[in-house]
Amino acid sequence: MGKLSDKLRLTFAVSTVVCVLVLAISPLKDFRAEWKHYKRWFVKYAQTRPDTKKLLADYSPSIDQVWLPGMNVTDRCTTCHQGITQLSLADASVPQPFRAHPPVPHNVRQWGCTICHRGQGPATEVAEAHETTLAWEQPILPAHFLEASCGTCHQAILKETPQLARGLELLTHLNCQGCHKLNNLDRPTLGPDLSSVGYKVTREWIYKWLKEPRTILDKDGNVTVNGYENEIEPRMPKFRLKEEEIRALSAFLSIQKARQIEKYSISPSVLAALSKKPDLVSQGEVRFRQMMCTTCHSLAVTRAGETKMIGGEIGPELTKVGSKVNEEWLIAWLRNPKSYLEHSNMPRYGWSDEDLYKVSQYVMNKLTDSDLLTNVPQLGAATEEETKTGKRLFAEKGCASCHALGGIAPQKDFGPDLTALGAKNASELEFSKAKIEHNLVSYIQAKLQDPVSVNPAARMPQYNWEQADLDAVTAALLSQRGPAPTSALQHLVVSRPEPAFQPVGAFAQVYERYKCYACHRFNGYGGTLAPDLSYEGSRAQKKWIADFLKNPQTIRPTLILRMPQFNMSDQDAAIAAEYLSLAVQKPDVDPASVDARQFTPAMVSLGKQLYEVKYQCQSCHTIGGTGGYVGPNLNNAGNWLTPAWVEAWLRNPQALQLNAIDPRRNFTEEEIRALTAYLMTLKSDIKPQTSASAANARLTGQGAGR
Amino acid sequence: MRSKLMLIGLFVGSVLCVLAISGCKRGAAAVSPEAAFGAYDTEPDWNDSTKLVNLGYQESQGKRVFYLYCVWCHADATPAGPSNRSNLTPTPPLLNDGEKLNPESDEFMQNIITLGGSALGKSAMMPPYGKTLSTQEITAAIAFTRAIAQPPYEKKVRPESPNATKE
Repeated sequence: MGKLSDKLRLTFAVSTVVCVLVLAISPLKDFRAEWKHYKRWFVKYAQTRPDTKKLLADYSPSIDQVWLPGMNVTDRCTTCHQGITQLSLADASVPQPFRAHPPVPHNVRQWGCTICHRGQGPATEVAEAHETTLAWEQPILPAHFLEASCGTCHQAILKETPQLARGLELLTHLNCQGCHKLNNLDRPTLGPDLSSVGYKVTREWIYKWLKEPRTILDKDGNVTVNGYENEIEPRMPKFRLKEEEIRALSAFLSIQKARQIEKYSISPSVLAALSKKPDLVSQGEVRFRQMMCTTCHSLAVTRAGETKMIGGEIGPELTKVGSKVNEEWLIAWLRNPKSYLEHSNMPRYGWSDEDLYKVSQYVMNKLTDSDLLTNVPQLGAATEEETKTGKRLFAEKGCASCHALGGIAPQKDFGPDLTALGAKNASELEFSKAKIEHNLVSYIQAKLQDPVSVNPAARMPQYNWEQADLDAVTAALLSQRGPAPTSALQHLVVSRPEPAFQPVGAFAQVYERYKCYACHRFNGYGGTLAPDLSYEGSRAQKKWIADFLKNPQTIRPTLILRMPQFNMSDQDAAIAAEYLSLAVQKPDVDPASVDARQFTPAMVSLGKQLYEVKYQCQSCHTIGGTGGYVGPNLNNAGNWLTPAWVEAWLRNPQALQLNAIDPRRNFTEEEIRALTAYLMTLKSDIKPQTSASAANARLTGQGAGR
Repeated sequence: MRSKLMLIGLFVGSVLCVLAISGCKRGAAAVSPEAAFGAYDTEPDWNDSTKLVNLGYQESQGKRVFYLYCVWCHADATPAGPSNRSNLTPTPPLLNDGEKLNPESDEFMQNIITLGGSALGKSAMMPPYGKTLSTQEITAAIAFTRAIAQPPYEKKVRPESPNATKE
């Protein structure tokens, strides 16, 4: 036991102190852990609330987690977000992270958090849980794009997710599938088949179109189509083409004349009778309106100095089409769209020579613009070299992805596969020199807005997006997360129902000829412009269907777009009415189950009283010129609806039509009978509208409506 | 000499300590929740379309319900064009009319939507939606009403409603 030297003693003392201090770090660090701070804060916060006991019932000072092994979920979010299931903490004044989750169909305890919100579930620090870190690249999904997570499992369209539905609709509409692989989309309608485009338009027009595909974005960011402001984005995007590329492509396309058009000569007697008439063009305009071409096509109309697009979005806008197409082509097209374009949605009208001549003269002489091609150089005939380059460019630029052209097959996997884009890490993305945040959302938005900004060599063309549409497409792309990572998650996927409506027999031809599905929906598939016809056979009387097809009338007073007058033959109308009324029914609404003959005058007068006084149905429905605009006009309900349908509707409208506005009421069975009896007495005869005055009256009405 | 060395030792130790502790604080409170989550949806202010009102999840579900069922009579412009509002007597309030709707309690709003106008001594033209919409959807619609109200809705300072005594 020698005496320690002073020096050694000192070293020992110092190292002891250091050692104790270093050992003290660990419990101190633990005490100061971020999540513990929130734990303690929650206890303090709960004590300031009236329901302290309830709030702290499940409290434990350790880490909370939702562990769902089958779904690969280990979420410790509830460690800090302790009030997530406490109803009393729903108010916006409750500080985060304690606020309750808004009511959603999925319970947090059963689903965890990261399945929808992303982020790092097992993390116990704020930054690690929410942000991108070195070890974790999937940050929290901004709330604005949250619907993307719904779409990962729910492949059918949900009413609760309008943004996602719009995004998927746009991905379909713009035919993104032409170049990219994507999941869960409808079959798109393609761009026009170009194999005979040389018959349709001139080389100069093609040049103009390629240079500026209708859309013009001025320096203030206003989008105009043909010089008119328009909310509808044309489907053709802008490709960044050089002058010589445009020349080559226009040369190549202008010589495409694969299929001879069906030339048709209007009978000389009609020509002789009409061609000298001074009001030929205006007569054509009247017929154009009467046939309701504007249901699908829009025209720019100037009223009181203000120019607006009026008409539908299903077909192309036609304001200047007379300066675009050749007359011979137009007549062939109007007579039989399918002979030129196999997949066209344009119905085949029944034309008389008079109508055909009047309407084509109107289109060729009135819907024109002499300035349309002023900035286009005279291009002359296509040279062989230009044609060759054009053909090469057509393939290289990916034109074949949307446009069929004989002999040029669309390239497989032309653009990147996007089926798992939504699950990509930021490190897998190419940002080039773009000055944007390095995360998936800003990447997708930058790429959509300006493809070149994130990849100077991008082949993707330029689109003009409205902010809401850009966000919707972003959400839809974020929902594309590839196959589910675990089999338990795979079980959660709610797939889309298969298309069910495939009419057969003679009606299949009528259905195809008039393209019913372009506007109407059958069993969840088809257009959304016009009423869903999945149960039309239960709803409407057979005679009414036939009459309506021959002479469609507006049933809903606010509607401006209306069913076209196809000049349908008696036979076609009869086939359609027969098929719809027998085969397209709701199984539990048998039109024969209620006999209108049992209704007594006493029931009718009670029904009238209920309609007008007790329930005041006139707030939404019109009878005899008075009433509201919301529901259909009931003037002709007695001829239109089947009594069985009216009764079923009064019992529960949403059972027949999911999105019906008409609320379900507490009617007694007696009241339902009485109201049905009253409605079945409402009958009014409708005369066909062919005179000019009727069409003009409608035109004025349209103006007022807009 | 000895005390000097000891002091140095103490100093080094405490620096180590402070460094270690401060290390674990790094990155905390870097995320403001509102910034990380953003608004679920937005609705333009009805009186001033340049302003946007931020909507949470529930309010945006209310927006969906509103534009499907209520817009026809409680707004001057509808997705179909003209509004049915001018057809009705008494004229229904605009949904953002804070002066008319702010005084009404959430319970009153819930009741009139669920049971209809006639059940509460109001116009029978307001139909009941209790069998069409779920309670959550009706609550969401009320939340949307509150979000877009002009003047803005404040829960605490609700003036007395003329309907309060009738209930």
